Amino acid sequence: MLKMNNINKVYQTEKVQTHALRDFNLEVNEGEFIAVTGPSGSGKTTFLNIAGMLEPYTGGQYLLDDVDVGTLSDNKRADLRNQKIGFIFQGFNLIPDLNLYENVEVPLRYRGIKSAERRRRIEDCLEKVGLASRAKHLPQQLSGGQQQRVAIARALAGEPRFLLADEPTGNLDSLMARQVMELLEQINREGATIIMVTHDSELARRAPRNIQVVDGQLADFTLYQNRSADSVVELASGA
Amino acid sequence: MLEIKPIFNAMRRSKAGAIMLLIQIAITTAIVSNASFIIYDRVQYLQQETGYPEDEIFHFAVQTFGKDVDLSQQFELTETTLRNIPGVINAVAMQEIPLSGGGSASSFGINPTSDQGRQGREVRSAYTYGDEHALETMGVDLIEGRNFNQNEVIIAQNRDVLPTVAIVSKTFLEEIFPEGDGLGQTIYLGDMPLKIIGVVGKMMGPWLKDSRPDNLIVIPFVNAGVYQKVLVRADPEQRAQVMGQIEDILLKEYDQRVVVNLNGMDESKRRYNASDILMLRMLVVLITVLVLVTALGIFGLTVFNINKRTRQIGTRRALGARKSAIVRYFMVENGIICIAGLVIGSAAAVYMGTALLEHYSLPALDHSYIGMTAIFVLVVSLLSVLVPANRAANISPSVATRSI
Ligand SMILES: Nc1ncnc2c1ncn2[C@@H]1O[C@H](COP(=O)(O)OP(=O)(O)OP(=O)(O)O)[C@@H](O)[C@H]1O
Ligand SMILES: [Mg+2]
Repeated sequence: MLKMNNINKVYQTEKVQTHALRDFNLEVNEGEFIAVTGPSGSGKTTFLNIAGMLEPYTGGQYLLDDVDVGTLSDNKRADLRNQKIGFIFQGFNLIPDLNLYENVEVPLRYRGIKSAERRRRIEDCLEKVGLASRAKHLPQQLSGGQQQRVAIARALAGEPRFLLADEPTGNLDSLMARQVMELLEQINREGATIIMVTHDSELARRAPRNIQVVDGQLADFTLYQNRSADSVVELASGA
Repeated sequence: MLEIKPIFNAMRRSKAGAIMLLIQIAITTAIVSNASFIIYDRVQYLQQETGYPEDEIFHFAVQTFGKDVDLSQQFELTETTLRNIPGVINAVAMQEIPLSGGGSASSFGINPTSDQGRQGREVRSAYTYGDEHALETMGVDLIEGRNFNQNEVIIAQNRDVLPTVAIVSKTFLEEIFPEGDGLGQTIYLGDMPLKIIGVVGKMMGPWLKDSRPDNLIVIPFVNAGVYQKVLVRADPEQRAQVMGQIEDILLKEYDQRVVVNLNGMDESKRRYNASDILMLRMLVVLITVLVLVTALGIFGLTVFNINKRTRQIGTRRALGARKSAIVRYFMVENGIICIAGLVIGSAAAVYMGTALLEHYSLPALDHSYIGMTAIFVLVVSLLSVLVPANRAANISPSVATRSI
C-alpha cells in the first residue's frame, strides 16, 4: 500500500544543508507491522512524517495506495491523513482543553461524521483502550500510559488502514510500554498496517518486520521475524 | 461545520483571556454606540440648515462716540455707503445678529398683555429690528405675503411712533396659528400689535440651542444706538476683501466712531458652537482609540493563543484539519467571545444611554446605533483574527512530531 522510490529530503537552513533522507526506498504491504530503528538523527521521524504526509519531500516518488502523493493539494493531503492514517506521537499530543471524549472526536469531526455515529465510535474506541469510564476527564488528569491509550483511541476512531507511531512508548515506563505494544499488536491483528519508530529493541523485536534507518537510508538488511517461532530470519535487501 | 460546542467547551476550561476580551468588547460596544449616536446628533445639529447663506454674510458693530449726529439717520447713510461697495449685495443695520449667540426674545401672543396678564395662546420667539433690506441681506426666502414697504419702516430715535407690521418665520407662524390662517393676523409684543405681512420659509434666531431655535420675527424699526450692529451680505468670493475695507470706508464717511467685532456669520456660528465642535472631536478620538485598542487586543490575544497552541494546531492538521478549518477555529472562537461581549455591551449601551438621558439631558439613544456598532465591532474583531489565524493555518503539521 505504501511505496517510496528514491525519496530524498533535504533541510535547508541558513548555514547547513541536512540530507535527512537520501534515495530512500521502501515498500510496505497491507497488514504489515513494521518497527523502525536506527541511531538518533538518522531520519526515522523524517521518514514517518513523509509517510504520513506531514512534510513534503524534496525528491523521489511516494505512492500511497497507488496515488502519487506529490501531485496532491494541501487539502487533499489533509483529507487523506484524516481518512487513511492514524497518528500516535511520542508526546501523546492530546489537546489539553478537551476532555477524552472530545479529543477522540477531533478527527471524526474533521471527517464530518454525524453525531450519533461519532458517539458510537468514540465509546467503542475508549472501551478498547480501557478508558471508557473516564471520557469526561481532561488529559492532565491521566497518567502518561493512559494518555497514550487515549491517543491510540483517537488514532483508531477514524478506522484508519494505516497507523504511524513515532516512539509511542518513548515517554512511558516499561510496563506501560508493554501495554501499549499489546494494544498495537491487537490493532494490527484486526487488519491495520502499522509503522512504529522505536528505540526499544525489545519492543522492536516483537514486530514481524524490522527496518533500520542509518544516515538517511535503509540499512542493507531487513529483518523478518516470525512471531510464533523464536527463529529469526535474516534476509538480504537489495543486495 | 462550525464545531461550536467543542470550541466553547475548550474555552470554558481556560477562560481568563476570553473573559478579558469579552469585557473589552462589551465596553467598546457600549461606549462606541453612545458616542457615535452623540456624534451623529451633534453633526446633525452643526450641519442643520439655518436658512442663511452663511458664507456670504458678515456682521460688525459700530460704536459711535460723536454726539453731533442723529444716529438713525446716520445709519441710513451708512447702509447706502455699504451697499455701494463693489461685491456687496445688501446691508442693513440690525438690532440682533442671527446665529451669533446674542439677541432678544420674548413671548408673542394673539392678544395684548393686559393688566391681568395675557389671554390665549403665546409663543416664544426671537425678534430683531431691520428695514426693508433685512430679508435680502439675510438671504432668506419669503414664501408668503410681501416684504415691508418703505413707509412701514419706522426710523426714529424714540418710541413715539411704533411699527405695525412684522415678517415671521414659518415655524413661528405655524406654532402660534396652527390652523394655518396666520398670514394677515395680528400678534402682540407686549401691547404692541404687529400684523403679519410676510412669512419666511426658514430663518433661525440667534441661539441654535434655544427651545425655539427656528422662531424669528423681523420688525421694521430703525432705532440706532451708540452701539449698533450691522449685517452685510456680499458675494462669497469677495466677502473677505469687502470685510477688509469696511473700517476705512466707514471712518471716511464719519470718523467719530469705531468698528468692532467684525466677523463672518459662519465664524460667529462656529464660536457659538465651539464647545460642541470640541466635544465632537474628542468623541471621534475616543471612538477611534477604543476601536483600535479592541482590535489590537483581539489581535494580541489571538497571536498569544496561537503561540500557545502551536503544537495543538500541528496535531489538528496531522489529524486531518484543512487550513481553512484552522482559520475557522479561531474565527468561531473569537465569534463566540465577540457575540457574548456584544450582547452584554448592547445591554450596557441601553443602560448608559438612559443614564446620559437622565443626567445630561442628551437625546434618547437610537437603538439602531447599538445594532450598527455591534455589526461594526464584529467585523473589526473578525478582521483582527483573520491575520493571525491565517498564520496559524500555515503551521506545519510536522510540529506534531517535531516538538516534544
Ligand atoms: N526542521 C528541520 N530543519 C533542519 N534539520 C532538520 C529538521 N528536522 C530534522 N532535521 C535534521 O534531519 C535529520 C534527521 O532527523 P530526524 O528527526 O528524522 O531523526 P530521528 O531519526 O527521528 O532522530 P531521533 O531518534 O533523535 O528522533 C537530523 O540531522 C535533524 O537534525
Ligand atoms: Mg525522531
